[in-house]
Amino acid sequence: MNRRDFLKGTAVLAPAALVGPLRSGQFGPAPCPVTLLPMPDYGRDMEKEIAAVMSRDGLVLKGKKVLLKPNYVEAHPDRPINTNPAVIAAVAHACLRLGAAEVVVGEASGHRRDPWFSVLNPKLREVLDKRVRCLDMNHSDAVETPNRGGLTGLSRFYVARAAAEADVLISLPKMKTHHWAGVTLSLKNLFGTLPGIYYGWPKNVLHFRGIERSILDLAATVKVHYNVIDGVVGMEGDGPIMGRARPVGVLVLSPFSLAADATAARLMGFDPRRILYLAQAGRFLRGLKIEDVVQRGESPKKYATRFDCLDDFKGMRGGPFF
Amino acid sequence: MFVAPEAAPLVKRLISFIIPGGGVPYYKGGGPSAEPSLLALLALQTASRPGGHAGPGSVPSAPAAPPGPTNSSPASPADGAVAEPAKSLLAWASGLQNADGSVGLDPAHRDQGLWLTALAAIVFHHYVVADRRDLALGFVASLKSATAPNDPRIRQDNALVGWPWVPGTFGWVEPTAWSVVALGVYGRSGDARAAEGAKFLLDRQIPSGGWNYGNPGLNDSELLPFWDTTGLALVALRGRAEAARVRPSLEFLETNQEKIESPCGLAWAVMGLENWGRDAARLRTRLLRALAAASDETLNAAHLAAGLIALSGRKVFAP
Repeated sequence: MNRRDFLKGTAVLAPAALVGPLRSGQFGPAPCPVTLLPMPDYGRDMEKEIAAVMSRDGLVLKGKKVLLKPNYVEAHPDRPINTNPAVIAAVAHACLRLGAAEVVVGEASGHRRDPWFSVLNPKLREVLDKRVRCLDMNHSDAVETPNRGGLTGLSRFYVARAAAEADVLISLPKMKTHHWAGVTLSLKNLFGTLPGIYYGWPKNVLHFRGIERSILDLAATVKVHYNVIDGVVGMEGDGPIMGRARPVGVLVLSPFSLAADATAARLMGFDPRRILYLAQAGRFLRGLKIEDVVQRGESPKKYATRFDCLDDFKGMRGGPFF
Repeated sequence: MFVAPEAAPLVKRLISFIIPGGGVPYYKGGGPSAEPSLLALLALQTASRPGGHAGPGSVPSAPAAPPGPTNSSPASPADGAVAEPAKSLLAWASGLQNADGSVGLDPAHRDQGLWLTALAAIVFHHYVVADRRDLALGFVASLKSATAPNDPRIRQDNALVGWPWVPGTFGWVEPTAWSVVALGVYGRSGDARAAEGAKFLLDRQIPSGGWNYGNPGLNDSELLPFWDTTGLALVALRGRAEAARVRPSLEFLETNQEKIESPCGLAWAVMGLENWGRDAARLRTRLLRALAAASDETLNAAHLAAGLIALSGRKVFAP
């Protein structure tokens, strides 16, 4: 399927895609807050600052079961492929600070079955408070969940139980380019809520049905309550694995996934309206347009840059936005 | 039990994973699942018999297969410490088989995770449940991965047919390797599907050594190899490929031994090297330590079972 076919398909299927998010209540009259927190390197502990922003954004965690969903794809000593443990720890500890009853870091990594290279790595464990649990969601029970998007033709998703039953799900992606989808941020991160024992390594059935359609279906199906994008060191070029490090020095925080993704894309020098799945997500999620966003924290001008990308995706370029 | 004294506590630990109602979960506290249960069955069998090549015939019998031919052979008795757990596990795993021979994830998801059928066929073979094994192998032989036009960005032959994770999708290293092993232990290494499966695996080998999930390169760059899939692919290719063709992968494991830390990676590295007659003594020592040190929160029962199979030295996956 080419992109033109995809666009035709999404136009036809758009009413189905609207059902879930309308139920989830992400549409509303108020604009979407997006906060930029400076984090020049991974040596700085951001727990207090992150907790303050979450609290100001109205995220109530007292007594709640919280699932943090980082992005682990593969392990490479020299490439910033995965959400950095320092960011995961800072968010996890911020959740404890805000009174969460349970904080779990869970991931169903898309390429590696061995959880040693994901959330069960001792280096992550070392930086986490002992009250924080790590969960290999690739090998976990799942909850059969109706597909509320309807773009892939899949009638249901098997969502890892920890993700399906969390009171609060926080997406913690890495700021990266993606060789099939353009960028990978908070919405694309939802692939990792699906256990590999159902979908395989990689989750080829989602590729088969269309990566962008799958992202949109998951965005319509899996409720995300908060987003923290690790843009301290992102990846440009041939991401999400083979690209180059691109330091940006910022965390992007928002209760709205699309607003977080669209803002991160603009910081990367891409127009979210030219990124197919983000543009389509704008049909049922808030935050695509810059006027939808209330910018808080540091000025985006300070971090706006131009990520390199593969030739196929040069059309995403845009700006300056700030 | 015929296990090294230092591994005996690990066998007990594996048995402690078995849920009273049947089956083994991946992690303590989880629901029962086919893969850790099937690997546990193989591990318990290796613990019940002396080392060497593993032919079929041990431990208890299983319930009859779903509609189809029934010619189960009687099974020989095994050591009591493992016979009873194995008996209950075999009964539970047998219950996962569908009428078409496929085996799914768990009793509530029998239509999911059908890639596990190859592993189930291996287990049914070793436990001499011939009717179930034949049904499972029939399903494995019928399952084919999708093909696609070659993509200049991905350096591989997309016309080769292997085995998919999910029916109707592309072939990948792990399900293809398990299926090649299943055909091999049954004596069907010469089948066209097994031969093409071996060719598929060789095509997906990263030129400088090793395998990942199944893409050796992208956009003129080699992708990164993994320990576990490298070990499994080497096990599957034993007797089906010239040593020279897999030498880069054997050397990849040998030269990187000290970097392998996880129980899963160590287990498959040991099996991959030893299946090709290479020395893995240091890896064995580290595997034993890694399994003993793993906490209940992080120990995956499938990895524990694979580790015990590796430590036993028995070639349960050999043709």
